[in-house]
Amino acid sequence: MRWLYTWWIALAKALGLSAELQYPFVARGVVAILLLAPLLGGLSHLVVARRLAFFSTTLGQAALTGLVIGVAVGQPLDDTYASILGFCLLVAIVMVYVRRQATLPPDTVIGVFMAFTLGLGICLLVAATRRFNIHQIEAVMFGSVLTLTDHDLVLVLALGALLGAATAFAYNMILADSLSPPIARARRVPTTAIDYGFVVIVTIAITVSLKVIGALLVEAMVVVPAAAARNVARSTRSYLVWSMVIAVVAGLGGLFMSTVWRVPTGGAIVLALSVCFFITLPLGRWRSGSPDRS
Amino acid sequence: MSDAALELDKVGVRREGRPVLEDVSLEINPSTIHVLIGPNGAGKSTLLAALLGQIAFTGTIRQRLPDGATIGYVPQSFVADRTLPITIGEFLALSRQRWPVCLGIRPAARAKTGELLAKVGLAGMEKRRLGELSGGELRRVLIANAIDPVPALLLCDEPATGLDPGAVEQLDALLTGLRDDHHTTIVMVSHDRAQVRRIANRVTLIDRTVVDTGQPAKVLERAGEAAT
Repeated sequence: MRWLYTWWIALAKALGLSAELQYPFVARGVVAILLLAPLLGGLSHLVVARRLAFFSTTLGQAALTGLVIGVAVGQPLDDTYASILGFCLLVAIVMVYVRRQATLPPDTVIGVFMAFTLGLGICLLVAATRRFNIHQIEAVMFGSVLTLTDHDLVLVLALGALLGAATAFAYNMILADSLSPPIARARRVPTTAIDYGFVVIVTIAITVSLKVIGALLVEAMVVVPAAAARNVARSTRSYLVWSMVIAVVAGLGGLFMSTVWRVPTGGAIVLALSVCFFITLPLGRWRSGSPDRS
Repeated sequence: MSDAALELDKVGVRREGRPVLEDVSLEINPSTIHVLIGPNGAGKSTLLAALLGQIAFTGTIRQRLPDGATIGYVPQSFVADRTLPITIGEFLALSRQRWPVCLGIRPAARAKTGELLAKVGLAGMEKRRLGELSGGELRRVLIANAIDPVPALLLCDEPATGLDPGAVEQLDALLTGLRDDHHTTIVMVSHDRAQVRRIANRVTLIDRTVVDTGQPAKVLERAGEAAT
């Protein structure tokens, strides 16, 4: 990866960026954002279409619980992917199963899981902090590019390619099922497999993004790009493109802000995403020609 | 052995412990338009859901359709998010191409969607957003979606709801054309008695179970008498 850091330093100098932005960890952050933001931004328009925004929040909280479980069973603090992914997948699959079986509205079922994962996480966290300093897990909670390693980048690249390919393969079926499950089933779309498969894709994408964006804020990356894109998109194609562009712009902007102002990367990225949303909001109203529409 | 396209034997559906359908036994002949009538809450849409295999039921439903036959379905309601930026062309292309619709509509799917929209009187509207359509226009899009590829069995839940008289006429022609030219078996829920008289081959009055079944004029007459 030495070539990457050398290239980044040269580019940062040529662009006249400040000294803080010329460090190798910033180069790793830029690469991570360029890999993760299109993936999460691209997934976001399907997450919102499938009304899984609340579900993603729950997964972020489950990630925190998974981290604490990992530490409790002896995993090193900087390599807890297995426990986070394992616990998040368990929560995601059980949540989909219960949502499909229950007669309650989906948001009520997800709310129950959110309360459960947060309650469990807090109890375990308090117990676990007797063994380590709570500040050590701040990076996972709020995101920090400082903790990114070359190994993380390779993981993001490999899983990102795999998840992107799986989503592209099933894209039409996922969207058809989001629009009308009865019509999709009549057309022989395997809706049960799509339901479970898509949450597995989102869960893996969220897990590999934790170090950059943070467990408590990662759901913003799979919701806000699509929310902002909806304000300006007129078709599925432009919806996807806008979601990805907004995620990349906000991701890079947030990374630079966090480096210069020394604030958590996740927080800065979410603020940049929110700015994108509020910029596109009046644009959408203007384009629809109904400024008074609530 | 019966030559019915669909044979229902003592079909029952319960919801939250309450019977929605009980002992429904019915034969639906191939290449016919079979209309289900009955009051609200009688279980007509539930029966369509059972025919589609989308809900659990007791009893038996035998389908005698050709191998690999397609089933078309026009639902009663389509609760799409009206702010979702998807065009009519993209919606129809979802089940007509493997290539992800978000990356563009392939020429073959584009041609097919244009042809389907012309059949339901929405020619040239491929780029309109689904969320901008009126109830009647949306219903026509759902009908266009259900008739390609030509289904061996078409299940329509109140397809004429929200359609203007011209569009209802067009729908009648479309359904009778499918029955007569392509031998499609059509099972339709309808409250429009005039339409039932025009196109139905057979009518079944449902009120949790089969109350009456037979020739349209006779069933409608008996149903009218029962109501008065």
